[in-house]
Amino acid sequence: MKLLLSWVWDFVDIDVPARAIADTMALRGFEVASVEDLGGGDAVIDFEVTANRPDCLSVIGLAREIATAYDLPMRELDALPNALASVHLGASADVAVTIEDAELCPRYAAAVADLVPVSTPAWMSTRLQASGVRPISAFVDITNYVLLELGHPMHAFDLDTLAQRQIRVRRATAGESITTLDGAARTLDPEMLVIADTARPQAVAGVMGGAASEVSATTTRIAFESAYFKPASVRRTSKRLGLKTEASSRFERGADVNAPVVALRRAIALMQQIGAGVLRGPAVDVYPAPRSPLTLHLRRDRLARVLGLRVPDADVRRILTSLRLGATDTADGWDVVVPTFRVDLLREVDLIEEVGRHYGFDKLDDAFPEMRQAAALPDARIARDQLVRRVLASTGLSEAVTFGFIERRAAEGFVAAEASESIVAVANPLSAKFDVLRPSLLPGLLDAVAHNRRHGRRDVALYEIGARFSHASGETRGVALAWTGSVAEHWSTPARMADFFDAKGAVELLCSALGVTATFEPIREPFLVPGQAARVTTGGRTIGVIGQVSPALVERAGAPRQDAVVVAELDLDAVDAARQGAVESVKPLPRYPFVVRDLSIVVSDALPAEIIRGTIQTAGHGQPAPLVAVTFFDRYQGKGVPEGSISLSLRLTFQAPDRTLTDPEVQTSFDQILTALVREHAAVQR
Amino acid sequence: MSLPASSSVAEQLAAFERELATAGSLRDAQAVRDRFLGRKNSVVASWMQMIASAPVDQKKLIGRYANELKQQIEARWTAYAEAAEANARPAGAVDVTLPGRVPRLGRRHPLTVVRDRMEGIFTRMGFAIVEGPEIEDEWHCFDALNMPAEHPARDMQDTLYLGAPVRGESGRPDDRRTMLRTHTSSIQIRYMQAHTPPIRIVAPGRVYRRDDLDLTHTPMFTQMEGLVVDEGISLADLKGTLLAFARDMFSERARVRFRPSFFPYTEPSAEVDISCWQCDGRGCAMCKQTGWVEIGGCGMVHPAVFEAVGIDAERYTGFAFGVGIERVAILRHQVQDIRLFFENDLRFLEQFPY
Ligand SMILES: [Zn+2]
Repeated sequence: MKLLLSWVWDFVDIDVPARAIADTMALRGFEVASVEDLGGGDAVIDFEVTANRPDCLSVIGLAREIATAYDLPMRELDALPNALASVHLGASADVAVTIEDAELCPRYAAAVADLVPVSTPAWMSTRLQASGVRPISAFVDITNYVLLELGHPMHAFDLDTLAQRQIRVRRATAGESITTLDGAARTLDPEMLVIADTARPQAVAGVMGGAASEVSATTTRIAFESAYFKPASVRRTSKRLGLKTEASSRFERGADVNAPVVALRRAIALMQQIGAGVLRGPAVDVYPAPRSPLTLHLRRDRLARVLGLRVPDADVRRILTSLRLGATDTADGWDVVVPTFRVDLLREVDLIEEVGRHYGFDKLDDAFPEMRQAAALPDARIARDQLVRRVLASTGLSEAVTFGFIERRAAEGFVAAEASESIVAVANPLSAKFDVLRPSLLPGLLDAVAHNRRHGRRDVALYEIGARFSHASGETRGVALAWTGSVAEHWSTPARMADFFDAKGAVELLCSALGVTATFEPIREPFLVPGQAARVTTGGRTIGVIGQVSPALVERAGAPRQDAVVVAELDLDAVDAARQGAVESVKPLPRYPFVVRDLSIVVSDALPAEIIRGTIQTAGHGQPAPLVAVTFFDRYQGKGVPEGSISLSLRLTFQAPDRTLTDPEVQTSFDQILTALVREHAAVQR
Repeated sequence: MSLPASSSVAEQLAAFERELATAGSLRDAQAVRDRFLGRKNSVVASWMQMIASAPVDQKKLIGRYANELKQQIEARWTAYAEAAEANARPAGAVDVTLPGRVPRLGRRHPLTVVRDRMEGIFTRMGFAIVEGPEIEDEWHCFDALNMPAEHPARDMQDTLYLGAPVRGESGRPDDRRTMLRTHTSSIQIRYMQAHTPPIRIVAPGRVYRRDDLDLTHTPMFTQMEGLVVDEGISLADLKGTLLAFARDMFSERARVRFRPSFFPYTEPSAEVDISCWQCDGRGCAMCKQTGWVEIGGCGMVHPAVFEAVGIDAERYTGFAFGVGIERVAILRHQVQDIRLFFENDLRFLEQFPY
């Protein structure tokens, strides 16, 4: 709202520079976008009026706020000589007004005038221009002047174009249409309110007039419309038609139900003042169910409790009165009559804000809320995610944050074909690049890897923690990592490129830190290189996936096709469900020594290490020397080992809790294990 | 060869010293020593030999000179050899200036760095950290927050809706998520439904708006909202709480200013300004010469919000505030372009701590 300071002087005698006023009002709830100096002490202050204050989209509304802020008297319109024309209200011989839907249009006032061709006086066009409104013709300028001064939108019809000189405020019928002032043909629906004559709609109520009844150069007689329309209805119509106007934006925020007649009287006074027309007969005011103003009760104690500040009674009364809120003292506070232009004041707390902001938030103390009980327990996911971050950062991965929505094509690349219908689409995406919610963190992470590769970065190691979405599983939280380039680069050793086992190692480390025992088995996933992909499970439940991204997807993301990008993704919610609790009690340290035996065998290279471990553990069970650990320390394939076989070296650790093991005990156990390996896997000892 | 005279010992010692000084290695130095001290053909040996052929009256004197020279050179050599040994590069010595084997250290994302810092500050003030779902229903995101169906904030241009509803984690058939949350206030609603006052929480998380990507806007950003509900909570409590936050986060001299504003879910409502910590309020480029920097919005919880979640709005009052984590990160680290947070360029990420 561009406010011309000299216009304010009509209502308030204020001798304060515009910039000072702007600074003051910014602390009373009216943010200032700009101040334009016009010289001679005058200026245009552009206020950003919040959505709850349609009354301040007007000179008078802002003048009232300025007067209150500076504790100055305010001259309302009715106190200004000749500002409001005296008008008889009654039936008009020239126009008949009928409200057919009083819910959507509680009040409709109209007046008829014969036009006199004059041009707009300079003082009026100057004020309009300074306020950002282009002067058009005398009567349009009058309605715009009233719009700016009072904030109430008016409309004018060429009376002779209205069939039978009738104004009917009704809902549109299905399929009815109108060509609006902007020349567009618009189809209406029965939820929309129109101003019609006996034949057809002549205006979309509160939004825009129709072209057919537009006042033109040949118009001799006009009907001024000054009405009140239900905010939600105007808002819906404006949205449905995709048509936002000065009028609609005011009506949808809430006009003053008592403004129609005042605005009409103001418009007629201006018309008479500049000689633009002659009023014909009484004005019409159809107001079937007059509203009584709202009375609110403001309690002194409540005011002090909410603000944390005791405002002196005299200041409360001064502020309320200056804002035109009629305050009457009661035992515990005030009864306050809310004028109808203050559509934002509905409850006691709204009055508390009025008093608070004008008394000044700068007078608030710096208090602190008393703690009556210990802080509540935090969300357990927060500590878990912090642990995940620490573990992954210490493996050299940096944290990425990518968008929650991605391109459908990218999403589909990372889910199985049968799961693609589970992808959650965005109904109104900004662009096709963001048209689905991510089912996985991997597409975004791969994009981040590609971004770094395109910017000359050779080694990239990233992870992200975040939400994933699907129709099948809803919203789940996961962690994913992506790795490409060399790892552990050092001058002492040849560089090694990140591979499957780096990703697996990070997953194993993470599972260990989270207290989850994970197992791994080969899988086929369309987005992973065959033979380099594993499913991560715990207790039979899938918690994640590890593998090397297929070159086609790497290339599509914009990284070199030959890049080996290894990735992993874990479902943190599923991991949580499998987490073992914190250590409750420790086990005593072993009191008897352990015995280590190494074992080298040759087996088929297709035999998974996990199966061999299982065979050993089964065979070792119940033997005289308890087997406590099995580790793989070498895997060799090549010279000396038959084609299709591998040589595996294992270290077996035996230990008893209650005695020192004897050699024969260990040997018996060892032999049993070897026998089982020979029997089950045709293993050959080396 | 002339016989050694009284000055000869000093001369030879000086010559020994000169030659030692030019020796490039211990081996060279040993050769020098041998030339002076060796059993054959050395200076000392030749003096010894002279004793036999010297006149009788000279024999004793030459013998004394020869012994004197021998002792002094031996003493000098012992000192030299000890020093050489002390300075020698030990076997197996490494070049300690070569780079060590440094395990790579990843970094937290700057938004996490700021979030962790803020969580620490509010935890210290007795707040619990609470999270919630990113996909929401309209009741939790709008209706319960005093934004009825026709409220402008519910316009399609602000909110991203889902093509089809997604089942919520409660599994109830009526728990259907239809939109991406536009603020983390929905977490506060869920918390108030499940807990009774006193309540003291902060709710961080990602939120979504239908905004184009540019220097200052992203369709996804991160918020932290706070909520305190109890008997007797006031706007002054809110101001003091935000002041304590600002003094920890930005500057010990920070001041807080409330500018009245409008949010549907708070009444009174205010924008929160912090006195500029770069210029201490005198005016600079960062605060656009105003001395103040806006960091978020706040207010007293609107009674309609309490009514929606079944908290007695007469007995309890509460305050709420919201701060954009990107905003704080931009201010604290002078980030010029908000898109940097989501590009994940390691040259950017690696400037932040572990
Ligand atoms: Zn500054």
